[in-house]
Amino acid sequence: MEKLVELKDVFKIYGEGLESEVRALDGVSLTICRGEFVAVVGQSGSGKSTMMNVLGCLDIPTRGDYFLEGTDVRELTDKELSRIRNKEIGFIFQQYNLIQTLTVLENVELPLIYQGINADDRRDMALEALERVGLSSRIKHKPTEMSGGQQQRVAIARAIATRPPIIMADEPTGALDSRTGHEVLEFLQQLNREGTTVILITHDNGIAATARRCVRLTDGKIVEDKEQEVDWF
Amino acid sequence: MNIRQAFKMAWKSIWGKKGRAILTMLGIIIGIASVMTIVSAISGYADKMMEQFEAMGTNRIAVEVYNYVYVEDENGNWVPQGKDYFPDIYSYCNSMKELVVGVTPNAYFSGTMVYGTKNTDKMREDFHYDEMGNPVGERPPSFYYGSDQYGVCGNLKILRGRDLTQLDIKNYNQVMVLGAQAAKAFFGTANPVGKTVQLNSIKFEVVGVYASRMEDENSMMGSIDNFVVVPYTVKRVLGGETDSSFTVVAKNMEDMEEIVSRLNGFLKGLVDQNTGGFYVQPENQGMDYMNQTLGMIGGVLAGVAAISLMVGGIGIMNIMLVTVTERTREIGIRRAIGAQRSSIVTQFLIEAAMLCGIGGLIGMALGTGGCMLLGNLLFNMTIYPSAPVTAGAFGLSVLLGIIFGCYPAVKASKLQPVEALRAE
Repeated sequence: MEKLVELKDVFKIYGEGLESEVRALDGVSLTICRGEFVAVVGQSGSGKSTMMNVLGCLDIPTRGDYFLEGTDVRELTDKELSRIRNKEIGFIFQQYNLIQTLTVLENVELPLIYQGINADDRRDMALEALERVGLSSRIKHKPTEMSGGQQQRVAIARAIATRPPIIMADEPTGALDSRTGHEVLEFLQQLNREGTTVILITHDNGIAATARRCVRLTDGKIVEDKEQEVDWF
Repeated sequence: MNIRQAFKMAWKSIWGKKGRAILTMLGIIIGIASVMTIVSAISGYADKMMEQFEAMGTNRIAVEVYNYVYVEDENGNWVPQGKDYFPDIYSYCNSMKELVVGVTPNAYFSGTMVYGTKNTDKMREDFHYDEMGNPVGERPPSFYYGSDQYGVCGNLKILRGRDLTQLDIKNYNQVMVLGAQAAKAFFGTANPVGKTVQLNSIKFEVVGVYASRMEDENSMMGSIDNFVVVPYTVKRVLGGETDSSFTVVAKNMEDMEEIVSRLNGFLKGLVDQNTGGFYVQPENQGMDYMNQTLGMIGGVLAGVAAISLMVGGIGIMNIMLVTVTERTREIGIRRAIGAQRSSIVTQFLIEAAMLCGIGGLIGMALGTGGCMLLGNLLFNMTIYPSAPVTAGAFGLSVLLGIIFGCYPAVKASKLQPVEALRAE
């Protein structure tokens, strides 16, 4: 299978050389291929969020190589990194991270605006994404006027609006009740079946069990990396 | 991201916090309003003065010839000793017709003119200013002694009848020509030519009326066309001192220096330096001086206003910095979904520029009102701000936004996406 993401002996060290130095990632090597559904699971402080930041080009590793679709990410300029975040990766966050002053539609349109897509096409693409998450009737609302589950669906619509090959979800169900959380996970499964590579970060073993592959992190090191039967809770 | 989108975003963000936006703009509003009021009022005043100067004719040279020695005449009045220099100056000036338009005495005298019920003494008594400083009643005309070249020297054209002639001068004719405003005051719409009026109880015949030189007849100093001119030689019957002030008008501005030097040479030979003296000076020096003074006052006031604009700009920078801090998370989100540094800089710069631009527009509206009000209060005329001043004020406010928006905008763009996302 085609390698999509490749971490080679990656370190992320805060306060290096000091007595208080923290190794958020401590020599991590990981390869993820196109079309996989991977759960990165670990306790709080295990380095899983740092891993997502590095994988998502939001943060730069202290040492080690990161290849995304064969490109060495450490060589890229801010402009090129912005382009990757915009076109290659769709982010879903625990706290939704919607812009409160913009309407639902405007939030979903935002990544398309940064792509420079014209207003008509942009609107069509955003509406299509909102339809997929079942929110096409509430496009003029502000995020604050919606429930947590709805806000997360807006965030998902924003993530898929650019049709990125990779979706990165950081505790996407963390702020939701179990039923809504279940819907979100099912939606991620659906995206994966359509060919999108999904990387799911979670502390919850039950949620990790919904992924075909599970990577377990402890103290910045990978302690387990296994294929598993998908188990729905 | 295109610019139109950036403008839309900036507008949204400003509109979302209207109250704060107004407070932030206040400094710019006050600054722009005061700059516009001051610059417009002063330049408007200077323009009006200039217009008046120009209507009275340009290229004027003032000639002054005076005596130190006074003698007692047969009536017991002390009068300057020495002869009347005008005929000599007249013929000298007319000997250089290629350079000179004309020459005339430039002396006004106090008189009482009566025609029917119209009486200048009565007019003088009734004329006053109301508490707003507006003139009430009719201003009495000024009386001048002139040569037959008074008209050409004053840029005056005959509307009715005729101008003063050399014969009037030579024969001491008791005739007069009226300025347009004086004619209107005394005769209304009737034709004054041929009418006889009393001037200091002496009969004078009106022989002509000059055309009006200025549209706006009610400026602060009264109309420049509110005058009566009589041949200077009738001083023999009206009485008074020999004329000492004359006006020579040059054909071209470039010739003025030449005329001044020739007149200096001529008067040196004519005037006895032991009992008198003379000076020759282009009148536009007075105009230059006025412009200089106005420019200086305007400069100082505009400087003060510029400082207030600076303070306003710093206020904008301050608020933009607060905005950046408040919106750190938003910046993080935007960066995470693909905004480049340059997009973030553009967004905040446009927001600052727009904030200042809107403030500038409000300031311009207030400044226009202020300028009209100040013109009415100080100079008793309505001054409208000129287009360049208005455009300049707007440009300046946007420029201030860009200058003071730079630092916060760059600061916003320097945030690491991952750190910005962590902000609350």
